Amino acid sequence: MFEFNLLLEGARTLMGQPMALLLALMGVALGIVIGAMPGLTATMGVAILLPFTFGMDPLSGLLMICGVFFGGIYGGSVTAILLKIPGTPAAAATAMDGYALTRQGKAGLALGTAVFSSFLGGTGSVLVLIFMAPILASFALKFSASESFALAVFGLSIIASISGKSVIKGLIAGFLGLLLATVGLDPMGGFPRYTGGYTELFAVPFIPVMIGLFAAAEAFKAMEDPEVRGGIATALGRIIPPWRVYRRMLPTVGRSAGLGVAIGMIPGAGADIAAFVAYNEAKRFSKTPETYGKGEPNAVAACEAGANGCTGGALLTMLTLGIPGDAVTAVMLGALTLQGLQPGPLLFQDHAGLVFTLFAGMLFCYVAMLVVGLGSLRFMGRILQMPKSVLTPTILALCIVGTYALNNSLFDVGIMLAAGVVGYFMQKWDFPASPVVLALIMGPMAEANFRRALSLSDGGLDFLYTRPITVGLLTAAAITLVLPLARRWLAVRSAARVRQDGRQPNGKGAAFDPAASRE
Amino acid sequence: MKCLRLVTGAVVGAVVSAGLVAGAQAAEYPTKQIELIVPYAAGGGTDLVARAFADAANRHLPKAIGVVNKTGGAGAVGLTEIMAARPDGYKVGMGTVEITMLPHLGLARFTVEDFTPIARLNAEPSAVTVNADAPWQTIEEFLAHAKANPGKVRIGNSGTGAIWHLAAEAMAKKAEVSFNHVPYDGANPAVTALLGNHIEAVTVSPAEVSSHVAAGKLRILAVMDEKRSATFPNVPTLTEKGIDVTVATWRGIVVPKRTPKDVVETLRSTARAAADEASFREQLQKMNLTHAYADSDAFKAVMEKDNAFFKELMTELGIAQ
Repeated sequence: MFEFNLLLEGARTLMGQPMALLLALMGVALGIVIGAMPGLTATMGVAILLPFTFGMDPLSGLLMICGVFFGGIYGGSVTAILLKIPGTPAAAATAMDGYALTRQGKAGLALGTAVFSSFLGGTGSVLVLIFMAPILASFALKFSASESFALAVFGLSIIASISGKSVIKGLIAGFLGLLLATVGLDPMGGFPRYTGGYTELFAVPFIPVMIGLFAAAEAFKAMEDPEVRGGIATALGRIIPPWRVYRRMLPTVGRSAGLGVAIGMIPGAGADIAAFVAYNEAKRFSKTPETYGKGEPNAVAACEAGANGCTGGALLTMLTLGIPGDAVTAVMLGALTLQGLQPGPLLFQDHAGLVFTLFAGMLFCYVAMLVVGLGSLRFMGRILQMPKSVLTPTILALCIVGTYALNNSLFDVGIMLAAGVVGYFMQKWDFPASPVVLALIMGPMAEANFRRALSLSDGGLDFLYTRPITVGLLTAAAITLVLPLARRWLAVRSAARVRQDGRQPNGKGAAFDPAASRE
Repeated sequence: MKCLRLVTGAVVGAVVSAGLVAGAQAAEYPTKQIELIVPYAAGGGTDLVARAFADAANRHLPKAIGVVNKTGGAGAVGLTEIMAARPDGYKVGMGTVEITMLPHLGLARFTVEDFTPIARLNAEPSAVTVNADAPWQTIEEFLAHAKANPGKVRIGNSGTGAIWHLAAEAMAKKAEVSFNHVPYDGANPAVTALLGNHIEAVTVSPAEVSSHVAAGKLRILAVMDEKRSATFPNVPTLTEKGIDVTVATWRGIVVPKRTPKDVVETLRSTARAAADEASFREQLQKMNLTHAYADSDAFKAVMEKDNAFFKELMTELGIAQ
């Protein structure tokens, strides 16, 4: 209860600082806008804001940065749901079911679900940060190269569950992503691979590829259609999900937030990985996994709770150990240092008052996100009523500006447009885009960490079976790969039995049509 | 006749005034905003030095300096852009030690001769750091252990061919030991691995481990500098211990070669004044960075010395192209 008293005191201090509260609110609003723009990620928002906080007092500056961080993670889902433009890599997972809901005229439901689960996931993760930080902190240090490798393999296995209609096509898309991921500097030796002499290709330009595959491809497809007000539904529907729908989501949200916290704590793994893992687990635990990918509100809830759950986890290791859990907190580490607060075990001893005021402020930021998010939904929903002749060029312009802003590089814009053309044909021939994105995130992580683990063990492969976390994650990967196949086998068998018996199938197998899944 | 004289007069007048305008323009440099190219991402160490410098320099310039991040290719993209910029002083760059390293790795189109140094602003030496639980209390004990176990001691660095990897290699060469060099994606992940006891040591800068040293989690055994660090006066230098190795990263303002002399002079005096500003020193100190101003001549000497040093070391290691 010691923490609880400190938190109450922190909340009281915070109430006496209206300026800090106002700046936090501004940060959240700014973060949502930044997150919603393709190319502008939460990391970039925080980095851009950083110099402006130099002159502020520590509390205001850090709260504004937290606001942008939290808002940015949620903001990415708004355009992902409405237009299938993931504003951030994490929102690529949200786009799968979110956009499907929009096409069914249930955009309001998807957006409302996203706001609520972001709020719950984020708030939950901040509470974990406040009350369990010392217990959980050492978890991050257990993660070495072999564990990160196993996590990346687990991530890659998720391709099996996000492939949509055809697993084969999903795998082809995944391998395309893995091939692309080999371009750049070799992570261990530093030699350029497939770069053709372009220094711009030394690192895989991952975000331009993502913007191209999702947003530009969608814009190209829209041009094909002569209708002015196109096929997507203009209705927003009801925003606040009905209680019975929401009650069904709560277990998913809780589980996803927990996963998000754990992944957020792992060095080098952030919201993007958390969103995909949360999606996979929600589908695994679901009673109706076949509805995933076709507009399942639970999937949106899982991705958003997972991505926002990351924030608390990443902040936890950053504040208690001085180790940034992801790219955003790496920048925030600099912000804290600049304010004279050295993150690490001493922070909680030397600046307990400020730290707990900051925690109270983080909870405020999430409440602000809920209010701003819900308040802006009707307004954001208007996007759907825009005529396509205005919307399509605007999307393309946003893609180009966003990509350019990322690195101030025209080369990246070219890559984005090329990826857009590839994405257009992938869509036409029913290849899913998310496996490419997932492979681009996980491929380099798997390669670098596998080779690093080999180097650490002096060439021995025993790290694959002697380390408990590694074994656990590799087992989870195997289960993820085998489960859909086993389900299909069971479904085929029960269908065969139905034909034999001439009876109606019971329960679970009913909605599954093996003929449809083979195309 | 009158007409002709009038024309001549007009022409002469025009030429003279044009000349005057041109002269005035050069004297008045800068007449528009100056772009400061930073080859690394916003929010990182190099970027923070650049922004702190821009803030301080703006008090001494009639036009503002704007920071632009051009990332990618381990710094090669931004440094190439500085090299290829029009040499008029409106695109200046934040040069880093990679100027003297990337060319030998075959990763860049530029060489050290393509840049005119203006001023070095900051420098950080390499430091041998181990976990506080490790048995070695001194650098001698550590090196003795490495000698007894060749190739077994794992040293984390920020990437193969990057500055902290070469620092460890240089130390290994002079101390006649061999290490297992493990590259990480930057200095921070390497420090994390050291905290988790997954490796035996890192050779990153003291600034990058100082918070963990203060918390009693890590221990610095030696710095690879000419003199002891002001923050850690009890830590010896390698030179003191008879191992003659100094390796440091640095950051400073550079412009493309062939930039006019008077522009270089203006930038030089501006950089000197900006580096001397109390606000600039304060910002660096807050970030645990060392203020290490060096005028263009001294900076040039550092660049040339590092260039020769890295060329020789990389050739010996077989990673030079």
